[in-house]
Amino acid sequence: MSEISIPVSKLRKKQPRFQGIDSGHRACPGCGAALTARLVTEASGPDVMLANATGCLEVFTTPWPESAWRVPWMHSVFENAAAIAAGMESAMKAQGKNTKVIALGGDGGTFDIGFQCLSGMLERGHNVLYVCYDNEAYMNTGVQRSSSTPHAAMTTTSPPGKERMGKRHLKKDIVAIVAAHHIPYAATASVAYPSDVRKKVRRAMAVDGPTFLHIHAPCPLGWGHDGARSIEIARLAVETGMFPLIELERGGLADVMPIRNPRPVTDYLKPQQRFRHLFKDDVRAREELEHLQAIADHNIEVYGLRGERPDALDTEAADTAHRGGMRWA
Amino acid sequence: MVQVTRGGFAYPGTSLEFKTGTWRVERPFHLHRVAPCHGACPAGEDAQAYLALVEEEHFQEAWENLVSANPLPAITGRVCHHPCESACNRQYYDDPVAIHNVERYLGDRALEEDWPYPVSRPAADAPKVAVVGAGPAGLSAAYHLPRQGLAVTLFEMLPEPGGLLRTAIPAYRLPRDILNGELGRLISVGMDYRGGQRLGRDIFLDELREEYRAVFLGPGTQKSRDWSIDGATPEDLHVGLDLLKEWMAVGKIPTWESVAIVGAGNTAVDLARVLKRAGVREVHIISHKAIPAPGIPPEDTMPAIPREITQALEEGVQIHEHRGVQRLILRGERITGIEMVHMKKLPGKDGRLHRVAFEGTETLLHVDQVIPAIGQVLDPDGLEVLVDGASFLKADGWGRLPGHPDVFTGGDARGDRGTVTEAVGDGRRAALAIASYVAGEPIPEEHSSEPIPFEAMNVHYFEPAPRPREPVLPPERRMTGCAEIEQGLDKVQVVGEGHRCFSCGNCFACDNCWTLCPDTAVLKTTELARDGSHYVFDYDYCKGCGICAHECPCGFILMEPEHV
Repeated sequence: MSEISIPVSKLRKKQPRFQGIDSGHRACPGCGAALTARLVTEASGPDVMLANATGCLEVFTTPWPESAWRVPWMHSVFENAAAIAAGMESAMKAQGKNTKVIALGGDGGTFDIGFQCLSGMLERGHNVLYVCYDNEAYMNTGVQRSSSTPHAAMTTTSPPGKERMGKRHLKKDIVAIVAAHHIPYAATASVAYPSDVRKKVRRAMAVDGPTFLHIHAPCPLGWGHDGARSIEIARLAVETGMFPLIELERGGLADVMPIRNPRPVTDYLKPQQRFRHLFKDDVRAREELEHLQAIADHNIEVYGLRGERPDALDTEAADTAHRGGMRWA
Repeated sequence: MVQVTRGGFAYPGTSLEFKTGTWRVERPFHLHRVAPCHGACPAGEDAQAYLALVEEEHFQEAWENLVSANPLPAITGRVCHHPCESACNRQYYDDPVAIHNVERYLGDRALEEDWPYPVSRPAADAPKVAVVGAGPAGLSAAYHLPRQGLAVTLFEMLPEPGGLLRTAIPAYRLPRDILNGELGRLISVGMDYRGGQRLGRDIFLDELREEYRAVFLGPGTQKSRDWSIDGATPEDLHVGLDLLKEWMAVGKIPTWESVAIVGAGNTAVDLARVLKRAGVREVHIISHKAIPAPGIPPEDTMPAIPREITQALEEGVQIHEHRGVQRLILRGERITGIEMVHMKKLPGKDGRLHRVAFEGTETLLHVDQVIPAIGQVLDPDGLEVLVDGASFLKADGWGRLPGHPDVFTGGDARGDRGTVTEAVGDGRRAALAIASYVAGEPIPEEHSSEPIPFEAMNVHYFEPAPRPREPVLPPERRMTGCAEIEQGLDKVQVVGEGHRCFSCGNCFACDNCWTLCPDTAVLKTTELARDGSHYVFDYDYCKGCGICAHECPCGFILMEPEHV
């Protein structure tokens, strides 16, 4: 058997997938947001235009004069990704082109500062897929709390101490708010289930109208865990019920990913430093753990997440490994 | 150099200029580790490798992989005690993979479709080696030697090959047509077979050593250990193995009303089952060891294969554990019973195990016959120059005998073996040693690394699935005729077992690493990389986050500190 040498750069060009975002970007090792962008653009294909809000993703992919993107991409200011996406979509419509516009924003730029533009874009019915990568804080500027930060999580602006046990307020239910606009399709997804992400992106791409994807993306630096465990932590969020995977059509629940064996929330919270104050010997800590467990139980109940029997698309089987791979949703 | 643009824009993909690989403090690498099944197989089969081929339904390729170590899968798939399954990592998740059923299926398919063994006739001027004994050890050596380019003459004292496979394993365990089919195909490739040649009578060791470059001895243990109870034996003493052989050869054996067999190995258990089939009403096994069960330490377990013991109990054989025979009760010449006593083998002051009878626990058992099945030793006839009074041929791991560089051995004759599969492994290793000796080179080292543990797997990525149960003839249906008791699994179940295999320590191209790398630093190739996988790490960009290693289901990716 003869041996041949292939330069890696050549291999890179022969990959059986579309790469919308390439290597060399400045994301932290193990970044969930980078993985989200990779999976989303892989599933969307090349005929897209991206509108990106200020945030981790925008900053680490475009250190001028370099760019990691391989599709047309625009950044304006922090709050207006949805607005410029709406403008791009109108321009495409005027030109009679079918290129899909995807707006990308972090939780800060979507739940908080970008909320107004998002609501306007949804209400006006633009054919835009809005993808929110949710690392649950303003990570780019050094881990400040957003309305997406979970209850009791530590950030620099929700520190635990004598007065408080981390963030006082609850995580904003963005999907419910978005769904209340009666858009054709809204869904949550997680980087722990890449096939599910792909499926939801393809579903949203096929819709002519506003669609919204809320994708859970762990941040090793901000959440306080080893970069190698990003996928495991994301999976635990789903398996405990802290981050339900659901699909909504015109405001009504259409599908969920059942949890085969719900796990206690402490399994998800313990490995993360941002929750370490909850494991100290403190009555308030115990109360917060109970509160978080109650939130998870509530999610499981309200969305009907408990699996009755093993299912090929539940949390245990949706990512089962198969010889040969190439398992597209 | 990236082109600096006049405005707030950049060209696509220009981030490739920045090699984030410089950020790493540790890097991923691929390591093909030994699967526990591979490590545990006495014959050296890589079950993980052929299970992968079975999963993809490449049965002939899977069989060719299997017989690169063991040429007798249709036989071992039926009679081996499968230590591979006892070691299988899947047992810690749900059930171990039914490897022996897969092996048996492949062996049977090869027989049906006459797949050729991967061995060709050696060159006309190839060095010649003599193999004495066509039992499993000799057959294995005679198969592996031509694969090393050596010419083989295989001598066997009986007309037909097989050794104990033919003379002592009952047909309900190993059907005749399978035995004859497998051995017939094996003998016809690459070796010169001569039956009816007994060492010490028709052929002689010194002549063989002169005529051949090397000699492999697989004579087995043809002599029974001496047995008596305080000097007394039944007047018509029958030795266990001889009776078994008589049943196999003739189909009938002397029967009694009730029989006690002294011994705890496969011969004792097989003989007990054969006596039941021959019509003996009460069959007792007197064993100083215990029936295998969870909690019983291995030194105290009966050496017979556990499923044979279970089936014997189902068929009505009675096993008396931790007992010994203290006295024979005679009336004139005839045995009317035995006095049993509680007995265990315990370490003595010299550290060695001694049989200890516990006074005050004697009971009487009425039997008409007592048959010893306490083990066999080497018959030194023809081998005097090598043994000097010892009971076995003491050899090293490669089968080499000290002081006799051209003589090699394997199988039961070594004294530290007792199974077919160990003998097959001995034959293979001796063939490698002989080839090195003939070429005047040192023996190439075989891997001796630790098998990959269960903890290295990421079992989230596997779905639980139970092991299929093969049909087993119920005890009532076994007694008439000699139909095979265990009936094997069908093709769908066998492929399913290939699917249940974790592929411990070996990439099965699940795409996890390729899919989950946030930096697109894992690339896929259609060509096979040198490390045996289809993935390549792009170390120019890999930041060493470790997601690939953490999410690899089979433990193939490891992290090591970055070399500075």
